Amino acid sequence: MYSWIWRHLPGPTVVRVLEAVVLALAVVALLMFVVFPWAEPKLPFNNVTTQ
Amino acid sequence: MIPRVEDDYDDEYYDDDDYYDDEKPAAKKDDLPPDSLARKTVRGVGEALITMGLVVLLFVVYEVYVTDLLSAAKQEDATAALDSEWSSNVVTPPPADPNRKSQLNLIEGKAFAKMYIPVFGNDWKFSVVEGTTDKHLEIGPGHYKDTAQPGEAGNFSIAGHRVGKGAPFNDLDLLESCNSIVVQTQTQWFVYRVLPMSSEVQGWATNPKSKEAACAGVAPLSTTLGEVYAKTVGQEIVVPSQGEVIAPIPHQVGATVPADKQARLLTLTTCHPRFSDKQRLIVHAIETKSYPVADGFVPPEMTGA
Repeated sequence: MYSWIWRHLPGPTVVRVLEAVVLALAVVALLMFVVFPWAEPKLPFNNVTTQ
Repeated sequence: MIPRVEDDYDDEYYDDDDYYDDEKPAAKKDDLPPDSLARKTVRGVGEALITMGLVVLLFVVYEVYVTDLLSAAKQEDATAALDSEWSSNVVTPPPADPNRKSQLNLIEGKAFAKMYIPVFGNDWKFSVVEGTTDKHLEIGPGHYKDTAQPGEAGNFSIAGHRVGKGAPFNDLDLLESCNSIVVQTQTQWFVYRVLPMSSEVQGWATNPKSKEAACAGVAPLSTTLGEVYAKTVGQEIVVPSQGEVIAPIPHQVGATVPADKQARLLTLTTCHPRFSDKQRLIVHAIETKSYPVADGFVPPEMTGA
């Protein structure tokens, strides 16, 4: 998977490294701001109230 | 990150190097078995597992640190809104009234009071919002709807996160009997003191601690208010379904005690143990003092302990 992505990144190595970093950051941001906030309420360990 | 290292190895590092060019790399490349389907599959599965592990680690970072940042911004907004509300509408402090009733207009999701726990340090302060849904608790400690208001007879109950989201109640287990919890509304300060722990109830009168200034007005409620309060102690750990801990008289849901006979309690709830929601950590405190809010006045309990 990772080598496939690497092979498909255009440009010389330096540019590819930059692209890879940007790609990784984009994935992290997507997780942090979209996926995790969505998944969090579905997980049980954050309940602090009594019923 | 991983592919970068892998390919640098082949393309750049070694190929450009004269020393290696002659012997090793060529031989090495030929030694590798062909990229069979099985190889690809195994590698793909391995990479997927590593990726999932990283995602889980990232989620922990999100829970423990990133939600703190997000909540800090929300808490700041709520505090700013509360401050501007307090400075814009002029209210005179009500006269001391032993039977005071609820007087705050509580709106869900809006802060209505500030809370301080001096033993946690001067920087421990949170604006308390109305409501205890996930959304409310992201902003800060949340007041259980339909429980008493600050200073009112009954049980002023607040829930707060223990981990992440600002973790206001992270150290709740460290509170000891007689520690003060100060609540400020627009017009009044209320000083609550943590009740004696269950281990201290027996022999409280002879306990040297009970003579300390901080413990003035603090005694096991069963001795001062009767058996109906026997289960109301400084700290308890209950299962999540035990909503009776926030009843006007904790653990006595059906009790019919007139409001003027009820203690003015404060109850804090959070999850327990840390990182789990298996149980709830409960702290009960009793109001020992109140002061009208005045310019420049800070209750002495805020600096002492």
